Amino acid sequence: MKQTARIISIHAADTSGVCSMLYELGGMVVVHDASGCNSTYSTHDEPRWYRQDSMIYISALTEADAILGNDEKLIGDVVSAAKDLSPRFIALCGAPVPLLAGTDFPAIAAEVESRTGIPAFGLHTSGMRSYLAGASEALKAVVSRFCTDALPRTDAPSANIIGATPLDFSINGTVESMIDWLNRSGFELVSCMAMGSTLDDIRRASAAHVNLVVSSCGLATAELLLERFGTPWVAGVPVGKKFPAVLASALKTAAKTGECALPCAERDASSPVKKLAIPGETIFSGSLAAAIESDLGAPCRVLCPLEAEDRLLAPGDIRIFDEDAAAEAFAASSVVIADPMYAPVCPPDVPFHRLPHEAFSGRCYRKESLNLIDRPLPWRF
Amino acid sequence: MLKLAIYGKGGIGKSTVTSNLAAAFARLGRKVIQIGCDPKADSTINLLGGDPVIPVMNFLREHDREPERIGEIAKTGFGGVLCIETGGPTPGLGCAGRGIITTFSLLADLRLFETYKPDIVLYDVLGDVVCGGFAAPIREGYASQVLIVTSGEKMALYAANNINSAVHNFEDRGYASVRGIVLNRRSVDREEEKVRAFADANNLPIVADIPRSDDIIRYEDMGKTVVEGDPELDVSKRFLALAQLLLDEENTSA
Repeated sequence: MKQTARIISIHAADTSGVCSMLYELGGMVVVHDASGCNSTYSTHDEPRWYRQDSMIYISALTEADAILGNDEKLIGDVVSAAKDLSPRFIALCGAPVPLLAGTDFPAIAAEVESRTGIPAFGLHTSGMRSYLAGASEALKAVVSRFCTDALPRTDAPSANIIGATPLDFSINGTVESMIDWLNRSGFELVSCMAMGSTLDDIRRASAAHVNLVVSSCGLATAELLLERFGTPWVAGVPVGKKFPAVLASALKTAAKTGECALPCAERDASSPVKKLAIPGETIFSGSLAAAIESDLGAPCRVLCPLEAEDRLLAPGDIRIFDEDAAAEAFAASSVVIADPMYAPVCPPDVPFHRLPHEAFSGRCYRKESLNLIDRPLPWRF
Repeated sequence: MLKLAIYGKGGIGKSTVTSNLAAAFARLGRKVIQIGCDPKADSTINLLGGDPVIPVMNFLREHDREPERIGEIAKTGFGGVLCIETGGPTPGLGCAGRGIITTFSLLADLRLFETYKPDIVLYDVLGDVVCGGFAAPIREGYASQVLIVTSGEKMALYAANNINSAVHNFEDRGYASVRGIVLNRRSVDREEEKVRAFADANNLPIVADIPRSDDIIRYEDMGKTVVEGDPELDVSKRFLALAQLLLDEENTSA
């Protein structure tokens, strides 16, 4: 069946992406949706929920409010809560019901901002797109609003990490390992967007010499910083043993020349040899494919089930829009490395290696999640 | 780029006014897009010689996919006016207002304004501002000015008042503002006096006074606007004068 997930899971929706990206930044996120749905965005998809406070709320939209277009109730509740909580910003985002009712979130945000004096923005979430779209729009909105001053570059080489959320990297030390690797590669960290850094750290983003984009949800923000401050970006995740050196070299070159680079897509997966298949977020999966090829000599191709620009794909990588396409691609592969929830559509004669992806299976396999940063890969083929 | 939304009571002549205004802008050398926002999808038919464009909603229904090119859902009419119709859902089902929002979103995805680079965009909107979808044309990024078409008939003025109030309710949202009234005459007793009283009470100018004209009907029977059919007629000159007035203001504000 086309565009259907009958057996396997689907990726977290755009609303979860917003909540995840903005979780640590001191803003108030209000999802305009029926009461009870908060657990979806903030519990199942959010490992920080039980140990770190955040201001994520549901508006408790009712049928009558939706039919009557009772925006004033939402605006009044948000203004009232904002006065109690004094958030750094307010993000308003939608869900399927407001999508159908045509709720104008940017306009509502303008009203909220005029009444509270707190920066507010409306996001075009609908629950119909993946977490990447929501996380991307949310981060870009924050950076667009708060990174307005061109600060002098730091004396020592420095970088921002852009696009880090637990949905792609879980909470297993991966982000900390990326920061350690970045330091060892000769770059100070200015900010990590958006794990482990504050909004004030992110406000200093223009001081960085280069940006490291670790998920495709960071690309739009990297492009904004390139346009606004001329900061080049490099896309890739330093996984495996040899690929991190390639990435570090690309960062140094970009910082020197101002040219952007996509080491994660500088592969060729178009040879007819049966390959490893890696479905997932494109920058991570592309980096892992490059790492497997260089460390283990095994040809790989990325299967892209999510929104991704063409330039993030290498020749031979393929888009898979539903589970039938995933099953077909797995059957044509020698090995599959994927979230455990893909296993039911992998043919039994194709070896399957489990690599949990929080955006796909939530907290189900969190204990199995792997930190692959700058270290030997755990597989042999 | 001048973007105008035309509102008014159903049957008051919005499509006639809009398409004649489009033709007038075209005769003045401007590049125009007209977007009909009505499930009836008949806004642009008199710019197209009576040969309608496929509405966006019909395209989605018939092809079960989104359009990939502007050319799939647009036709060029008189004076090069690019004609688009949102259309609507199957009658009695679905949500017409949502259809307008979806159409606008698709047009943005197709980068309509960036690729076509119009001087003028006209949104011809069904009747009243009945729900979020029918306010979409006046949201930020779409029309910045609203023209309200009315006659001196009581219900037309009632609708005009509702529309004006609705637009005022959105003042804090950065939506469009009402530019003025287009008086489309219906041979009502003391018509100008009634419309002027409404306009004055709401501090709105009457920007055009369109006489009742058999010529409009005659040319519409031929699938044309009267501005296309005979620009020398008095009624055509009224549309041309309105277009020139709006252009002059645009130039002054620019």
